[in-house]
Order: sequence, then C-alpha cells, then structure tokens
Amino acid sequence: MSERAFLVDTTKCSGCRACQVSCKQWNNLPAENAEFFGGPEYTNPRELTAITFNHVKFFPIDRANPEKPIWTIMHKKCYHCEIPNCLNVCPEKAISKKDGWVVINQEKCIGCGACENECIYKVPHVLEKDLSEYGTEQRLMRYKSFKCHACTVNAREVPACAFACPTGALTIDVEQKVLKKADARLAQVKKDYPNASIYGKEEFEGLKVITILKDKPEKYGLPVNVKPIDMVRAEAIRDMYRVASMFSMGFPSLKRAAYRISRRIVTKDFNMS
Amino acid sequence: MTNHWIDIKNADVILIMGSNAAENHPISFKWVIKAKEERNAKLIVVDPRFTKSAALADLYAPLRPGSDMAFLNGIINYAIQNDKIQKEYVVEYSNASYLVNPQYAFNDGLFSGYDAGGRKYDNKTWQYQVDDKGIPRQDKTLKDPQCVYQLMKKHYERYTPEKVELVTGCPKETFLKVAEIFCSTHKPNRVATIMYAMGTTQHTVGTQNVRAYSLMQTLMGNMGLAGGGINALRGESNVQGSTDAGLLFHLIPGYLPSPNAKKHATLEAYLKDPAVIPVTNDPMSINWKKNFNKYLISMLKAWYGDAATDKNEFAYQWLPKYSKATPYIVLFDEMDKGVLKGAFYMGTNPVVGGPDANGIAKAQEKLDWLVAVDLWETDSSIFWKREGVNPKQIKTEVFMLPAASSVEKEGSVSNSGRWAQWRYKAVKAPGAAKSDLDILDLLMKELKAMYKKEGGKLPEPILNVVWNYTEAGEHEPSPHLVAKEINGYEYKSKKLMSTFMDMKEDGSTACGDWIYCGSYTEEGNMMARRGLKDAPNKIGTFPEWTWCWPLNRRIIYNRAAVKRDGTPWDEDRWIIKWNGSKWKGDVVDGGPAFGPDKKNPYIMNGEGVSRLFAPSGLADGPLTEHYEPWETPVANLFNSQALNPATVKLDSIAAELGDAGRYPYVGTSYRVVEHWQAGAMTRNLPWLNELVPDMFCEISPSLAAAKGIRNGDKVRIFNTRGNIRAYALVTERVQPLKVNGRMLEMVGMIWHFGQGCASTGDSCNQLTPNIGDANTMIPEYKAFLVDIKKEA
Repeated sequence: MSERAFLVDTTKCSGCRACQVSCKQWNNLPAENAEFFGGPEYTNPRELTAITFNHVKFFPIDRANPEKPIWTIMHKKCYHCEIPNCLNVCPEKAISKKDGWVVINQEKCIGCGACENECIYKVPHVLEKDLSEYGTEQRLMRYKSFKCHACTVNAREVPACAFACPTGALTIDVEQKVLKKADARLAQVKKDYPNASIYGKEEFEGLKVITILKDKPEKYGLPVNVKPIDMVRAEAIRDMYRVASMFSMGFPSLKRAAYRISRRIVTKDFNMS
Repeated sequence: MTNHWIDIKNADVILIMGSNAAENHPISFKWVIKAKEERNAKLIVVDPRFTKSAALADLYAPLRPGSDMAFLNGIINYAIQNDKIQKEYVVEYSNASYLVNPQYAFNDGLFSGYDAGGRKYDNKTWQYQVDDKGIPRQDKTLKDPQCVYQLMKKHYERYTPEKVELVTGCPKETFLKVAEIFCSTHKPNRVATIMYAMGTTQHTVGTQNVRAYSLMQTLMGNMGLAGGGINALRGESNVQGSTDAGLLFHLIPGYLPSPNAKKHATLEAYLKDPAVIPVTNDPMSINWKKNFNKYLISMLKAWYGDAATDKNEFAYQWLPKYSKATPYIVLFDEMDKGVLKGAFYMGTNPVVGGPDANGIAKAQEKLDWLVAVDLWETDSSIFWKREGVNPKQIKTEVFMLPAASSVEKEGSVSNSGRWAQWRYKAVKAPGAAKSDLDILDLLMKELKAMYKKEGGKLPEPILNVVWNYTEAGEHEPSPHLVAKEINGYEYKSKKLMSTFMDMKEDGSTACGDWIYCGSYTEEGNMMARRGLKDAPNKIGTFPEWTWCWPLNRRIIYNRAAVKRDGTPWDEDRWIIKWNGSKWKGDVVDGGPAFGPDKKNPYIMNGEGVSRLFAPSGLADGPLTEHYEPWETPVANLFNSQALNPATVKLDSIAAELGDAGRYPYVGTSYRVVEHWQAGAMTRNLPWLNELVPDMFCEISPSLAAAKGIRNGDKVRIFNTRGNIRAYALVTERVQPLKVNGRMLEMVGMIWHFGQGCASTGDSCNQLTPNIGDANTMIPEYKAFLVDIKKEA
C-alpha cells in the first residue's frame, strides 16, 4: 500500500475534540488530572503529554474583523516527519518507521528523553509515572517514551481520531491525494482567509500530517522550512553514548544517565566550535 | 425539524441563531460544511458570544441575550420594506391576503382583547372577516389596509435597523448584512434554513421567537422546500420521541391537546372544541385535524381494548384531564406548597437542570417520597445531604432504581429530523439495572394487582388498561410489542396498519400514537431499515433509511415546495412534483388525492395556509412583538410594556426579581460539547472531565479588568436566588455590547455542573429565574441578571 497521510483542515474544525477522546478510548489512555483549562480558551491539557497523543489547540481569537473574527482550532499530534529527529537521535534504535509512520518500540526504549529533547514540535514524552494498570497493548510503563503511532500499534483501518471526526476536518488518505486535496482546498479558502497556508509540505522533508491553516504558520507557532537535525551532531551523541552506556550494565536508569552525559558533552563541544 | 439533518446540505443560506450547533449538535456541522463547500452556502451565526459555530461562519452578528425578537422583527421589517419577499408564495400559501376584523388593534405593546387582571388575551378581535359562506375574505393584491400583509407592514415598520441596534447592541451595518444575506433567499431558486435551539425558546417570548422564524421563512418562500424549513435542534437524544409520545403537560400522544376537566367534560365536547379540531368552510383546506377524532378514539381503544366502546365514549372518562395547567415551573411550585406528595424522576435531574435550582431542592423536602430512576446518584436523589442542610430534618424517603443505559436496551430513538431509528441492545445492563420499559412494566403490573386487591378511589382506569407487552414464554416485556401498539392495528384482526388514513372513529382500529402509524407494519419494523438508496436527484432524502413520521415524509409541508401548477419552485433540489395527475418524490403532505391547484399546502390549520398573522393558538398575540426578559438591565424601547403581558407570574417569585442596580450584568446559560445536560452522564467519565474539568463562566476582558479578575481565577456569581462558585474564562469571544447608549456586559455560564458525580461544581441554575414563556412556560434560562466578583 502506498503511504498515507493525515489532512487537518482547520477551516472545517469545530473543536468538538472527538479526536482527542477517541484516541484515549482506542489506546486505553488515562485522563489527565486537569483543573480549569491548561491552555488558551478550552485547550486541555496545555500540550501533548505521554498519555495524550493528540489534542485540540484553541488559539486566541483575532478580532481584526469583528464580523468575521478568526478563531483557529487545530488538531495536533505527531507530524510523522519524513526525516524524523526523534528517530535519528534515539540511541537504542527504539524508533522506526512502519508504513511511513514514526513508531516508538517501548520494549527497546530506555526513556533517555533524546526524542523528547530533539522534537521541535514537543511530541514524544517520557512517562514519569507508573500507569501500567491502564495499558493493554500500549503497556504504559514508567520511563518509556510515548506518542501517536497512527493507530499502527492497535491497528485499525482508519485511525481512531480521523474515524471520529464529524466535520471532515481530520481525514486520512494516500499521501499524494492528500497533497492534491490540500492544494485544492487552499485555493477554495483563500477567498475567506487571504493569508491561508498549508503546513507540512517542506518541513523535515515532508510531514505525514498536512495542515490547512487560516493564516501563516508562524501565527500558530509552527516553524517553516525546518531541516532535520544535523546528522554529524546526532551521530556524535550516539557514538559518545555507545561508549558511555557500556558502563550501565544494562540498567535502564544508568543508560539514561549515560545518554544525558553524552548529550551534554557533545552539545558543549558543538557550542564551542 | 420540518426538514432533517442531511437536508442542511441543500441550503444556500444557513442562519444559526439561538443555537450553538457546532458545540451541541456536532454532527450537524458535517452538513453545514458540505453546504458551504459544495453550494457555496453562507453561514450566519447570531449569538451573544462568538461560539464554535461562529468560528466557522461567514458572518457573525452579536446581540444581547434576550433581544432576539427585536433582531428578528427587524429582519421581517427589512424584507417587507425592501420588497424582498417571495410574492407568489406569500399570496398563494400564506394568509397575507386575508382580511382581519376591523376591531383588531395594536397599541403600545398590547394587542386588542387584553385583560390586564388575568394577564391574558381574548382573541375575538384577531379573527378574519368572512364572506357569506364563512370563508375568509381575501385581497390578493395585498393592498387592503385590513389585510394581514398591510397590518404586518404597519406593525413591523417600528423595527428599523437603527432601533434594532439600540435594543440588541448589534451594529446596524452588521444587522443589515444579516438581513440582506438572509433575504436573498426570497428568490425561488435560493433557500435558507434556520437552525435554532434553546437560545431561541428559553425566554418569556420563546414561542413568539419561533413564530418570527415562521414569518421569515414564509415571506422568503422557504417552507416545505429542500434546504429550507425551521429546524429545531432537539437538545437530547429521543427528546423528539418523548414529545411525540405526549410527554408535555399540554399534549397527549400525537400532539393532541390535553383534555381539560371543565372544557372537555365529554368526548363530544373535546371533539367539538375548535381549539382541538378547527372548523373551516374553505374547500381549499384539507384541515387534517378533522381526523383527530379517529386518532383519539383509536388511542383509547389501544389503551382500553374491549372496555372502550361507543357506549362509554370509548373510555374517554378514564383519560386524565387537567383542571390546572401544570408546566414544569408550576409543578415545582405545587411541590413546594405540599400539593404533590410523591415524585418519580426518570432520567431527569431537576436540582441541576431546573430553574431556581435551590428552590427545587427545597421543594423536594416537602415530598413524602421520591423515586429516582437513573444510572448514577444525582443532585436530585441526594438533595437531602446537600451543603447547608441537615439530613435528619428531611423527611423525604428516596428510592433509587438503577437504570439501564441507552446501549443496554432495545427500542426506537427519534432524532430531531423525526426519524425513528431502531437500536439494539449491545450489552447487558450491570447488576440489578433495568430498562425503563421493564421498570414501568413491573410497576404497572404491581399497581394493577394492588388496585384489584385493595380497590381505590377510581380503580377502573388502572384495572381496565390493556397491558400485555410480554411475549409468551418470556418474562421481560418486549419493545417490539410496544412499538406495534404505537403503530396501530385493526382491532379485530390485529393486523398492523400501514397508514393513519385507514384509521376509524368507530372503535374498529387501535393505535397508540397516530403519527407513528406506518412505523411497524405487516412488512416488519420499518424503523430497523437501513436502506441506502437516495432520492433520484441526490438531495439526501434516503427514504429507506429507518422511518420518519408522518408516513415516512422526510420534509413536512412539502406541498408548499411546488407552485399551484405542480412544478417545483426550484427544479434543482425538488422534493416533490405534481404532473397534473400524480405526485412524484417524497410522501406528499395531506395525501395524494389532490393536486396543488385543488388544496392548500398547510394542512394542520383551518385555512390551509401559513399564518403570518395567527388569529388563534397563541396566548400572547397574533404578531410578534419585543418584550424584555423578566430581569433586564434596560427599558423596552418598542413599547411601554416591560415583560410579555401574557406571561404568567407566580406569586412566589415576586421577591426574587433582581434589579440592574444591584445585579448589573446579563447572565445566560449554555452547554459545551464535552458534557451532557445536567452532567450525570459525563461528569463520571474521566476523559470528558479532562477536557472540561470544572464549572466555569465566560466574561469579556473588559469586565474582567473592571473586576480585577484574571483568566483562571475563582469567582462568585450571584443574584437574589443564588450564589455560585466558578472559574473565570476571560475571553475575547465575549464582548460588551452598546445597548441604548450604554456598554452592557454579560456573564455566560455552562449549566452542566452540580454535585453527586466524579467531577463536581455549582449549578448555574441556582441563578436562573422561575418564570417562563407565555405559551409553553419553558423557563427563561437564557437571560437574567447577576453580579460577579473575584473570590476572596
């Protein structure tokens, strides 16, 4: 099967958050302990966490035109980069691609936080609490990194989030078709939103989550044309880790420490140069 | 809904007002988006707040809560003044040309016939002039000063855009854009739909707000057409089914009026009342209600079987009759007075959902017993241990009956589009939980046994009622047998009927609810159908998907979708056609016997045409007029009446009236998608509590600044009735509005919270008033006065 991609169309999103809830249900994820709202407007939690693989961001409203204020409501999850930083920095090769989706293998994950540190979208998160009673296939174990796996772990034809979306704001299709649809839709919405844009065609050599925005990506804190991590640096960290981890005797906590030390050393070197 | 959910996709203009459909009816936006994407439809959202629905709108217009009528009347005036009406439709299919009694008058907010002492109207002067045959006189040129159209023109000319701005706070330019876009549908090939909900109805002028929609849609010629209609978005799954089945104080099954003890002492008196069965001499009128005798008698036959005969008025005397109208508000007033001794709550939680919730909790203390049938404990069933009371001093005995949830039982669910959809039981109910049908079945059997053994004041209605809903060999009642009775059958042969056109008034047919006749026939359970065949022109009719009342008619008033010659107003999205001898398309309203040239399309009133002016049927006037909410910060600029003059004011609320000096902000209440009604269904679900964990209110940045409140602060909101805690969401989506020269702020609150669940908070309804609409008495939840302060 040719690789697929998600299309997030914020011009169709009504913010019902069915995606967020259905992800929790399908992946048997626990609820966040929330008080009031964590982010702007109704956003909860504020950002993705180890137990919230996708969520809906409600941006502050732009009232420049009071007859047509702009309120962007955006589904956010792992963008599944073509060249993912997380995959490239993982010292244990716990992150791999499956049908084009970026997937973490928690069996191999040592919870070093490399992926968390290097993802500019702040997607993967290392679980700090023991929540194993919740996990089934997921095995929600402490010190493991978690994020959206596009329902490849609990396989289903249409990922739970896209399946639940009532308005067509979140769909999934063959990647080429998604790109075409995005272009066509952009042309259509430009008359309503002259600054409308498509995000995800170029970043990290192309994302598997293409987002149609009502304004420029920068307005939503989305950096444009970002390139993948410097491979020399990533390799340097990994090389250093390979040596340091020999002293860990296989203990996960020592492996994590070995990674942190390696990263610190290499980063210092790079900054000095 | 006159139309149905899918049909929204056929609209050119969508007006969402008094509804936040994106939030409360998320699936509707599938069709709204489709209309926008495929038809380039324009979405207009009129709302005090910039809502999720507004986020997807082409035009957003703000207005002050409680000023809807001024806004709507302004649109009516705009249409008339600018001659943007569908003239041919209006002349043929409305009473615009009908001449009204010359004694009809309207003066300073009062229509003729007002009785100030009784706060009610005598509608004698609102009647039509009739000719010697008793047929209303008409002037089809619409020029006669006594014709409805001219009376309207005069009545609405006061609603100028300038005045609309002063009263509603909506800038004149924005209002005019709304009016212009909406009225662009006066052309036959353009259609607007109106999606409304409780933001329209929960006012002291709620019924008249909906009337205004009828007037607008009639003037535009949008009723009966695909993509048009007036679409009430029902607030709860199967609430449509519950009203269809007569679960309202003023109706019995099938929307027949509740019989009144004094006025309808005999079956004959009931059937002779023109308020039940209209009288008409007009040969153009189908006057469908003339069949109500058949429907009532068939219902009595279904209830009482052999015991209902022409010798005993078909057991009409056993049918309960009211001597005093007891809508929701009056019910709890009576409870408070100790008139009611016991209460049964099934899936209802008045201590969160009812107005003046503290008052309701207090009223419940007067009960001897309360039975609460629910999935969980609710505020209403644990009212005896609420904050500030001593359980020892409350005498009420509370019984909790665990209920099965919707997926734990089989049966039909009717949606807003009138589709009765059959559902199956997915899982067994846990523990001792039972379905509502089981509970009612056991209860009725026990009652019958007790009456048989012990007698009673009036045992006959209980002893004689036919109660066989259990298949041989089973011990639980079958929803199929109930559905078959609701559908109706020929009494002797027990053959299931397929149409109410075959119903008789001689006792030879039995039927629980005439509008459901055809839902469960000899061919099987039509509600269980899942056929995916669309109408030939692909307008999303899907006539083989489940079943819809009446007679599987997908759009009601569809006779008005064609001209007198039978051709559709709009060929592209035709719903029915008449070729001179036969109908094609949807099931035609009023039966296929007559063409559009022979009969008028509006079959449910005596005239057969849409009533722009209502000579009867309304408590508060034949035309719509703006009155202020009971609690309001401003004077009424349209007339010197403040409150709707026909609204009932209970003696018990006089002391509760808050004034704007002490409570300067307009309070309003609404829902969010994450929580369900009074919250018992959702506040126990962690995933939903994650999204909306706490009771909150929404206020503008300007009000927040004035009160020293920051986003996320805990606040107190209070008035004469209550004092609640909430978190403050300070948002640009709420803005003060300039009303009559003064900036007015509002405090918007969700009403899902209460105690008794995993996530708790104060109920907003501690603040809402005990007053309601003049016709339905639906409480005024949407506009009242409050003050707010940061919690110390």
